[in-house]
Amino acid sequence: MAAAAPPMPRGAPAGEPTYGDVNRDIIKTLAPPGKRWFLGMAIVLSGLAFGAFCWALQLRAGIGVTNYMPPIFWGTYITTFVFWVGIAHSGTLISAILFLFRSGWRSAVYRASEAMTVFAVMTAGLFPVLHLGRAWFAYWVFPYPNVRGLWANFKSPLVWDVFAISTYLTVSATFLFMGLIPDIAAVRDQATGWRRRVYGILSFGWRNSDREWHHFMRMYLFLAALSTPLVLSVHSVVSWDFAMGIVPGWHATIFAPYFVAGAIFSGCGMVITILVPLRKLFQLERYLRVRHFENLAKLCLLTSMIVSYAYITEYFVAWYSGNPIERASFYNRAFGGYWWASWIMITCNAFVPQLLWFKKIRTSIPTLFVISLFINIGMWFERFVIIVTSLSHEFEPWQWTSAYRPNWIELGILLGSFCWFSMWFLLFVKFFPSVAISEVKEALPPPGREHGRGGH
Amino acid sequence: MRRRRFLQVAGVAGAGVAAGCGTGTPDHLLPYLVPSDDLVPGIPTWYASTCRECPAGCGILVKAREGRAIKVEGNPHHPVNRGRLCARGQAALQGLYDPDRVTQPRKREGNVWKPITWDDAETEIATALGAAASAGADRVAFVTGAESGTLDRFYDVFLGAFRSTRRLRYEAFAFEPLREASRLTFGLATVPRYDFASARYVLSFGADFLETWLSPTEFGRGFASTHGYRDGRMAKFVAVEPRRGMTGFNADEWVAPKPGTEGMLALGIASSLMRQGKARVAGVDADRLRAILARFDPGTVAEATEVEEAVIERLAREFGDAQPSLAVAGGVAHQHRAATQTAVAVNLLNYIAGNVGRTVRFLSSSPWERVSRYADMRSLVAAMNEGGVDVALVHGTNPAFTLPATAGFVEAFAKVRLKVAFASHPDETAELADLVLPDHTPLEQWGDIEPIAGVRSLVQPVMMPVHDTKQTADVLLSVAQKAGKSVAPAGVATARDLLAAGRPERDFDRLLQAGGEFAEAAPRAVRLTTDFARLGWALPAFDGPADGLVLLAVPHVGLYDGRGANKGWLQELPDPTTKITWQTWVEVHPETATRLGVRSGDLVTVSAGERQVEAVVCVFPGVRRDVVAMPIGQGHTAYGRLARGRGASPLALFAADATDPSGALAFCQTRVTLTRTGGRRPLATTEGSPRQHDRGIARAVAFTAIAAGHAPEEEHEALTESERTAIDSAEASQRRRAELGRYGEDNPKWEMAIDLSRCTGCSACVAACYAENNIPVVGESQVVRSREMAWIRIERFYDGFAGGENDLPTGTDFEVRQIPMLCQQCANAPCEPVCPVYAAYHTPDGLNGQIYNRCVGTRYCANNCPYKVRYFNWWDYGHPASDEYAFPGTLSWLLNPDVTVRTKGVMEKCTFCVQRIRFAQNDARVRGATLRDGDVTPACAQTCPADAITFGDAHDPNSRVSRKKLDERGYHVFQQLNTKPGITYLRRVIRSGEA
Repeated sequence: MAAAAPPMPRGAPAGEPTYGDVNRDIIKTLAPPGKRWFLGMAIVLSGLAFGAFCWALQLRAGIGVTNYMPPIFWGTYITTFVFWVGIAHSGTLISAILFLFRSGWRSAVYRASEAMTVFAVMTAGLFPVLHLGRAWFAYWVFPYPNVRGLWANFKSPLVWDVFAISTYLTVSATFLFMGLIPDIAAVRDQATGWRRRVYGILSFGWRNSDREWHHFMRMYLFLAALSTPLVLSVHSVVSWDFAMGIVPGWHATIFAPYFVAGAIFSGCGMVITILVPLRKLFQLERYLRVRHFENLAKLCLLTSMIVSYAYITEYFVAWYSGNPIERASFYNRAFGGYWWASWIMITCNAFVPQLLWFKKIRTSIPTLFVISLFINIGMWFERFVIIVTSLSHEFEPWQWTSAYRPNWIELGILLGSFCWFSMWFLLFVKFFPSVAISEVKEALPPPGREHGRGGH
Repeated sequence: MRRRRFLQVAGVAGAGVAAGCGTGTPDHLLPYLVPSDDLVPGIPTWYASTCRECPAGCGILVKAREGRAIKVEGNPHHPVNRGRLCARGQAALQGLYDPDRVTQPRKREGNVWKPITWDDAETEIATALGAAASAGADRVAFVTGAESGTLDRFYDVFLGAFRSTRRLRYEAFAFEPLREASRLTFGLATVPRYDFASARYVLSFGADFLETWLSPTEFGRGFASTHGYRDGRMAKFVAVEPRRGMTGFNADEWVAPKPGTEGMLALGIASSLMRQGKARVAGVDADRLRAILARFDPGTVAEATEVEEAVIERLAREFGDAQPSLAVAGGVAHQHRAATQTAVAVNLLNYIAGNVGRTVRFLSSSPWERVSRYADMRSLVAAMNEGGVDVALVHGTNPAFTLPATAGFVEAFAKVRLKVAFASHPDETAELADLVLPDHTPLEQWGDIEPIAGVRSLVQPVMMPVHDTKQTADVLLSVAQKAGKSVAPAGVATARDLLAAGRPERDFDRLLQAGGEFAEAAPRAVRLTTDFARLGWALPAFDGPADGLVLLAVPHVGLYDGRGANKGWLQELPDPTTKITWQTWVEVHPETATRLGVRSGDLVTVSAGERQVEAVVCVFPGVRRDVVAMPIGQGHTAYGRLARGRGASPLALFAADATDPSGALAFCQTRVTLTRTGGRRPLATTEGSPRQHDRGIARAVAFTAIAAGHAPEEEHEALTESERTAIDSAEASQRRRAELGRYGEDNPKWEMAIDLSRCTGCSACVAACYAENNIPVVGESQVVRSREMAWIRIERFYDGFAGGENDLPTGTDFEVRQIPMLCQQCANAPCEPVCPVYAAYHTPDGLNGQIYNRCVGTRYCANNCPYKVRYFNWWDYGHPASDEYAFPGTLSWLLNPDVTVRTKGVMEKCTFCVQRIRFAQNDARVRGATLRDGDVTPACAQTCPADAITFGDAHDPNSRVSRKKLDERGYHVFQQLNTKPGITYLRRVIRSGEA
């Protein structure tokens, strides 16, 4: 390891780091965890344990332990499922699509967001199982040869969902791991003892040769190209869980793009929510620049506008269709028993992000952090509104209700899902570089040259 | 040892092992050790008997499988109900298998119950009876419910043997004013036969004849046949009552006079009838009546009753023109202090309109003649108080609950030296007794009753007794023997012997198979007497503050007088009026609620002076502004786990001495005040929105339009232009590939037609469905969460009044639209494609199948069902080890073995009783016959008293259902969704306005 660098000043980082700085600063994040990490892990694990406890109760007694009330057959769980799937999307967007578009600014943030993608999909994947009446038979939705001679119903959007989510998990995990290989090698080079062996295996014996880099970049490009349509398709398929139903408020052609935009919006919000504390705790201010956050904020603003446009379109179409039942559903959405959910959604997703028009706000990290929290809340409520509010006011007035509220079991599992996600993230930041070492270096002037200015 | 003997022993030993040795009493794996030769497992045996859930006496057929009764259905040959049954009758099984039953004789020692042997108990009673008889006459009291026939006579003989005539046939609803009015007007203290079926115009003064009044199943059938629209004809029905209940919901018009003035209104109508020259009386009668009625000119009556003069004139005209018509008095109109006057007025109205002898007929007798009067009960209470009763025997009735506390029954009963309750349930009266002798439930008993003169309807056991119980008459025979008294002819040792009365066995068996002897009695001619002239015509007084609200205590359609309160099916049966389950509510008019500042779900104290009860407010447009109504039936302090401590009884508010001229207790006697307690209790209602928001779910058409030959106008045009286009193109594209919704011409296509013009909303179908399909009862807390599991529900919408889409009606001019909603078995079902595992699929005969053990519980099907008729197992209702097990103890015996008991986490729904379809198909196959129209009937259609449901094969163009589908009134719910439902509804026809 190189000689100790002068302590990094707090606040705005000054000057470009060198390759050595990059290695040191980023690998430093893998240093043995301190008290704060353990404290965080303890909190996260207890939350997870509570969630598991709630699920155990539910498995034992039945879905009755939740507060679901017909006709609201889907509630917190599917809301949270879609929320996490949505979160997963910006990761791939940032790593794959922005890669293809050669947006240099992505390199600082893409690793964290890619990890976020994988963990969010892992979290999301729990919910379709968790909400089942008979979770222990969840495997029946997979088409696999069995002695019962039974087969999955490929007409059901839920089966499409199974494929969408499992494909997405596979591809995003592969993509994440692929991108990690050169960095793992860098970690290996600095590690000792058994860690060196483990990282050595994980790096596939990466030797940093030209040939390897050549193959690596090809492969990366291929995977990026493969992932890109998934960004669009996965959430489109998730949206069809709803759009293929005939429920007023669900049955709309706008759903696929609307959901994709919402997913990216929520994902960018979540990236900000995660990166701000990460940057602070690991003193990565030199790598995670305000510029990066500003770009994320712009992306939020863009997707917020798309989402807001979708909201307006939904209402417009409901009105324009002339269909009284559709109209009633949307009137109920805004002014019915769940008006508060709709207005939380609109405030958080359409109004609050408008602040991002101001550069001052875009470049203020604390403000961005707060806005990102609003976005997270707003996007959870968006799914709540779509699912619960639509179901509460369908065709049959005799079966209307607006009494459903999540109870402690549902909230416990919701909490558990956040803790599950955070647990993986906490483990990740301690075992793998959460900023891409090689790509950050790429963006820096190569060593031996004068800083910047095109060199000799 | 012979082979058969060996098997018997092996069977007992095996059963003992299976039950866990050492319990003392071996359980029976099968009720028969040696099954009779004609018992084929899987093939039901049917026993004819008589329903004893209320005094109406409907004939029933009980289906027993492998020796256990699993379903009650009406006896098609029985003159009372002709194969139909109400919800209470369907629930008789839950009384039989109630886990709270008294299972063995017990004796009170101090405050604890000790088991006692039958022999000891009988000896103790015999001794006490002997002592009482030697102490003097009338020192033994025997209180039963309404009884008639052989055993009733035997009870009198038995009592006579112990020198007593203190025999009471006590009923909470004894219809005394009707009997008294008949005596005063026609000289016969009886209840006439009312023939709804031939009436062309029905005017009901409060009578809830489709719910609890006299014989609701019989009347429901008759009413539906005359009021149901058919070939341009239907009767008109006007309900005159301060509260519009389920019966009133079926009315074409609701007239709401001030409470207590119903009789006056009847006289006003009668008077108007005379003056319009439509009276069918002449001579002396006419003159006398004219003189009496002169005082009741429409002006005076209108002022007193708050019913417009024009309405009175019009009702009189319509009533006189329709021939024959029928006026009936009952319910809340015949509970106040002038109930007899009301009944007399209605009798006069019938007489003047010429209905007596046509729709109102007097037979030689009526079982109601013998039912005790309230005054008899009061004198018994007085006698007990004075120590004049040494032994009191109570059988099949529960006066400690159904009498108001102020009647002092409980205190007086305590003074009786030996109190014996022959009770199948530990009810309030049994709790007070010294000896409780477990009685057979009616499904285990022998007996015969006479519901109508000329009809002897037999009661026979349909299975071996569930517990160590004995029939009361058997116990009494044995007691008499022990006391050395002769109460029966020689050789008679059991109730069955009494019934058979020396008939040859084969004769008696034939009688049992038929369910009894059904002869028709000739009506008696009656003449108007003058006795009624002595009645005072003052309006009834109500206790309480003048600005209070008159309290109407309403018999509950499910719980009756409270006897249904420990039956889950009846507790969970939504009250047809308010749709509330499990609770005691108080109905308040919307404007009164605003004035009082209460909302639905607020807990209030209902106070009549010192006496108070607590109830939940239900804002309900079917009561006048100046009244509130509460159901009778809850508020038990004993009786079983479901009944005890649940709700409150309005009887607790009553003064025992408020009676009408017939001596009947006035249930409608006081004004009350409502005070908020500050608490809230969410209403356990199944109602979502009470308005149908112009969605054309329960549709109606005006009689004037349809009778004039106009097709029912689409008053709810549910299809928009864009929807129509979308459907057309969708159908066109799908047709190219296959005929949408047709699954093989060779198979039947099961469909249903429901005539809303006949459906009364009585909810018998709901109870029948619970019985047939093993539907779990979920309890109040789950109904609050809309998690009730009833596969068929009766939706009730208010319609036809001016007001916003979210408003409740405030006037009387609203229509009530009721519609049974069950799985529509869509040919193009939204539930099927969304199931990821094919649990929801389409059968070749057009049903939406649901494979329970394939279901993983995604619930997408339920979300996608526009009719919301799929029900999810939120808890493990079907597993005996579960906390929520819905069939604890012996209740599991009533499970239909042909229907899967569902486990937690699966979706379930109406199957059109697929097990009945398959049974009939297999049966036909075995017989080598083809299935004929009518061979398959789902449980709901089978029991429907109104015969509103038709079921059959729609591929057969001659089937009844195919023909009904073509009816001009037919429509599909949510047709715009192109689901191609298998249920065709026929619009209700409303004959409002001038008829």
